Amino acid sequence: MDEAIKREGSTGTLVMGIAAAVAGWVVPGLGHLLLRRWSKAAVYFLCVGGLACAGLAMRGAVFATGAEDMFDRLGFLADIGTGGFYFLAHLIQTAGPDVAHATGDYGTRMFATAGMLNLLTVLEAYEIGRGRRT
Amino acid sequence: MNTLFGGLSHFQALLLFALLVSLTFAFLSKRGASERAKYVLWAFLAFLLVAVGIGWLMYPFSQ
Repeated sequence: MDEAIKREGSTGTLVMGIAAAVAGWVVPGLGHLLLRRWSKAAVYFLCVGGLACAGLAMRGAVFATGAEDMFDRLGFLADIGTGGFYFLAHLIQTAGPDVAHATGDYGTRMFATAGMLNLLTVLEAYEIGRGRRT
Repeated sequence: MNTLFGGLSHFQALLLFALLVSLTFAFLSKRGASERAKYVLWAFLAFLLVAVGIGWLMYPFSQ
C-alpha cells in the first residue's frame, strides 16, 4: 500500500496540485475535472452547488468580511469555502436573507456546510494533483 | 431557484441535506460503486435517525 502511494506520488506536481485546488475552490468540482476525475467532479459540483443554492433559496444569511463577532468570522470562513457561489450569492438570493424564520436559519447552515464540504474536496483535489491520492 | 428550493418543508430540507452530504462523503472516502452506495445509504439513514431522535428527545421541552 505504501509502495503504491509512493509510486503514485511521482506522477503529480506541486503546480498541478495548487492549480487543481484553486480551480476546485472557485468552481466546486472543477479541480477534479482538470484532473480527469469525471464522476467526482460531477458529484461535487451537484452536491456543493445544490446545498449552496438551496441555502440561498431558503433565505439563509451569508456572512461578510470584517465581522466583529467570532461566530460571524467562523461563518465567513465556512461561507467563503463555496468559492464562486459566495461571490454570486447576491445574484442567486434576490430576496435577501431572512433568519427570523427557521427556514432561513436552516439555509444559513446549508450554505456554510456547502463551503466546508467544498474545502474538503479542494484538499482532495490538491492531494490528487500532487499524486498522493488517486 | 426559489420555486425549486424555497418552498421546502423542514423535513424535505433535512432529506436534501442528508442526501447531498452523504453523497459527498461517500465520494471523498470510498472507492468503487458498491462501497459508495453502501456508505451513502448508511450515512443517509444515520442522518435521519439522529435528526428524528434528537427531535423526539427535545419534544417534551417544546410543551
